[in-house]
Formats: sequence, C-alpha cells, structure tokens
Amino acid sequence: MPLLSLKDLSLTIDEHQILQGISFDVEEGQIIGLIGPNGSGKTTLFNVISGFLKSSGGSITLGGEEISNLSPSQRAKRGIGRVFQNFGIFRDMTLEENILVALEALPRQQRKDLGDLKEVVAGTLDMVGLSDAGKKKAGSLSGGQMRLLEIARTLKAGKDLFLLDEPTAGVSPKMTGQVADIIKELKSNGKTVLIIEHDLPFIASICDEVVVLDVGKVVLQGTPAEVKESKELKEIYFGADPTT
Amino acid sequence: MMQLLINGLIAGSLAALIAGGLALVYGVLGVFNMALGQMALITGYCTWWFHQVLHLPLGISVICGLIVGGLVSWFVFEIFVNPFYKRHRFLPLVTTIALSMILDGLILLIFEEQPHAIIPGIKDTFQVMGAWVSSMQILLVLLTVLLMMIMGYVLHSTSFGRKIRAVVQHDQAAMSLGIKAPLLHRYIFIMSGVLAGLGGIYLGIDQSLTPVFAFPITIKAYAAIIAGGKGNIWGAILCAYLIAFLEQFAVGIHWFGLFYIPAGYQQAVALLFIIFFLLFRPNGLFAGRARTA
Repeated sequence: MPLLSLKDLSLTIDEHQILQGISFDVEEGQIIGLIGPNGSGKTTLFNVISGFLKSSGGSITLGGEEISNLSPSQRAKRGIGRVFQNFGIFRDMTLEENILVALEALPRQQRKDLGDLKEVVAGTLDMVGLSDAGKKKAGSLSGGQMRLLEIARTLKAGKDLFLLDEPTAGVSPKMTGQVADIIKELKSNGKTVLIIEHDLPFIASICDEVVVLDVGKVVLQGTPAEVKESKELKEIYFGADPTT
Repeated sequence: MMQLLINGLIAGSLAALIAGGLALVYGVLGVFNMALGQMALITGYCTWWFHQVLHLPLGISVICGLIVGGLVSWFVFEIFVNPFYKRHRFLPLVTTIALSMILDGLILLIFEEQPHAIIPGIKDTFQVMGAWVSSMQILLVLLTVLLMMIMGYVLHSTSFGRKIRAVVQHDQAAMSLGIKAPLLHRYIFIMSGVLAGLGGIYLGIDQSLTPVFAFPITIKAYAAIIAGGKGNIWGAILCAYLIAFLEQFAVGIHWFGLFYIPAGYQQAVALLFIIFFLLFRPNGLFAGRARTA
C-alpha cells in the first residue's frame, strides 16, 4: 500500500480550475520530485495535501486513511511534515525553542517516549551542526542554516512524510550539498519525501521518481532520467523542443 | 513634574493592559477589534454591579466581572470575528464597528450616562516625592506590573506560551507541527478581552465608568500597537506608557510660560501619535521586529 495516494484530486477557486485530475502514489521510503513551471500548481498541491486548502474533489489517503477532511494540525499529527519555501521557522524564537515547540506539539505518549526533551533538542542541533547557536534567535541564521534547522525540526517532530517546498531556495551553493545530504539521510531513515524544486540537477541527484505538473495537471511521470530526456518536458519549459 | 510622571504611570498601566492583549490578537489573527473599549467597559460595569448592587466583596466582584468579560469575548469571537476573518482580515473591522455601536447603545440603556465608580467616595491619598497618589493607584500599578511579569513568564517559559509565539510568528508552520492554531486564536481573543476587561475594572476603581470612555480606550490601544510595531506585544506595552506620559505632559505643561493646552485635547495625542508613526515610521518604533510575541 502506498504511503500517500492522490486520486483524481481537484481544486476550484472562484470558478477557476487550479488543480484537475491529479493522481499519483508515493511509496514509503521514496523521494519524489515535483517539478513544473511557475504557476503550474506545485505549492497549491502541497497546500491541499497539508490541509491549508480544501480540495474540491478526489481523495487523499495517508497510509490507507482518507485525510481530505482533516485540519492541517490533524494531518500533521498523522505524520505529514512541511518545510516551507519562505522558511517556516519561528525567527524570533531561539533555535532551542524552535525545536522544543515542535516536540511539545507531539501527542503525550510520543513526547514521553522521547525522554528528556532538552537532550533531544541538543542532539537535533548537533545533527545539523548548530549546537553552538542554540541560544541565538533563529532569524539570525543564514538561509541554509534556517533550512537545515527546519528540516531537522520536522524530522524530530516525528513526521513520516516530508513535503519540502524548494528546500534550496535562498540557500548558498555551498550549503545546497548539505541540504541534499540531510534529505538523503531522511530516506535512509525510512522517511518519505515529496519535494518541489526548480534545480533539475539537484532533483535528478536525489529523487527516485519525478512528477511534472503543468497548468494544474500531471503531464509526465517517471525516473529523473526518463523525464529529463522527454520531449514533453522541453515543450513545457521552452514552448517547443528547441532541438527540433 | 513628578505629579505628571505618576499620572502617566497610572494611565499607562491601564493602557498597557489593554494594548498588550490587543497586540497578541493583532499579531496572531491580524484583525481589528473596534469593540474592545466597549468590551472593557462591560467588564467594568459588571464588576460595579456585582460590588455595588449585589454587595459582593470586591475580590469576588472582580472575578465575576472577569468571567463575564471572558464570556463576552468568547461570544464576540464566535459571532463577530471567527466567521469572517479567514475570508478577509478587514471584515471583522466592519463587524466589530457594528458591534461597538450595539454595545454603546446597550451600555447606555442598562447603566445610563451617569458615572459609576466601583469604589465610590474620596480615596485615601498621600504624597510621594511631592506628588499625590492613592494606595489603590499604587496597588493597581503594581498589579499591572505583576500581570505583565506573569504574561512574560507564560509567553517565554511555558509550552503554551511557546505555542502562542509560534502561531504569532508563522501560523502555517505551527499548524504543520500539529499545533492547533484555530484553538489558540480563540484563547488569545478571549485572553485579550479579559485583559481589556481588567483595564475596565482598573478604570472603574481609579476613576469612574461612563460610556464615552469606550472609543478613547480603543483608539489608544491601537495607537500603542501601531507605534510598538504591529503584533509586538512588548513594544505595544512600552508605547502605551509612552502615549500616557505624552498625554499627561501635553496638557500639564505651561507651554513657554504662556499657555496650557486644554484638557479636552488630551485624547488627540493618541490620534496624532498614530498619524506620526504611520507617516514616518509605519513599521513602528521597533521596526523589523513586527509580529513578535
């Protein structure tokens, strides 16, 4: 059974069809890249999966359970974690508080199982090389550090499915590699990742499969190599295959 | 001069209570509640009614008044704010203006125009460094400081406070962690109403309650949150004190040894303050720290 399954998902806002007939499955432990031109509906699809927008039709199942009618926090409790394009960190809270608040939002038993939360916080900061900055405000970090903090926080918040919205946006080329490493580490920990990215070489280097969206529809799906070589992808980005 | 400072401290403490709660609401929901002054007065009037009509002890009357204030805030949130703020953040501006008019009429109808003092009669006053002050005023200022300290502790040192600050700073990220932001929105709105209600009780004890106080209470609270940086609770509290001091000095100083500004113009200080900040420092005194709890 796939971890996440989208079936005939659609979204209409003010009579405008934003998403239509979106169907694909995400197997547990996979990294799936979601690409497409600006305005193709990638972030909107993330908003529908994470519950910030209510779909107009179709179904979303997580581990076989229908979640279309659940609130964002209920979906989060069931294991969907989101990393935002515009950095979803709490800038005026310290790094320690950023992680602590995520741990405190866990269901009681899950929180108890973690043991001493201060140790978990320290371990999380250590994991992303920020253990010396625990008392600093998160807003003082560089873009790359913010991204690492956000991913690590989502990981410690016990999420199984990660929705990463342009994780390399605002990140220096030097730190992009570090972000890629932590995403691969998610996979090695059995986590599932759905990732929006414009950086195609980055997508090709980490994804098992790529889904291409255009004008709110899935137009292509396959391995990174298949998608990269496809004529349709060139047409979507350049209007027509420039080599023909 | 000392008298003006003490008066400013007393008036500032009242304004700080109201502005602090409002700053949280603005930071979290991004909405305007133009009925805040009326909500403060309702709590004050109810406390007066419990104490002066039912003859309950002052402490019990204050608690009962605050319970009514909390219930009124809850009602206001469910009927006049919650159904509208997700559609457009300016809709509650309209609905709460309508509510303020309804509440103005109800207050006039029930309590009439004459002033109502929760503790009537002459208060025992004494001199501190040449300024006259009553023991009740000192108590009220100290209670305000204590409340601010409790609020600071809750916001910065408890799990509940951290969740509120997370929702203020990035509500979608907070919800993605499993924090129930809509529930916190409700709590924060009620908390703001209770803090405003405390301001109403403060006013009823220090001075007396009349329906005309409602609008100045609201406008001063907004002046403080605009000047403090929208959503910045500590900035709003600091600016509430600043506005109160400016109000006192504006009408208390013998300008150039020639004239006094009539006391009737005191309320204009808050409005001029808003205009000044919107023109020259639209992000507030603590620019760059907006939406901070």
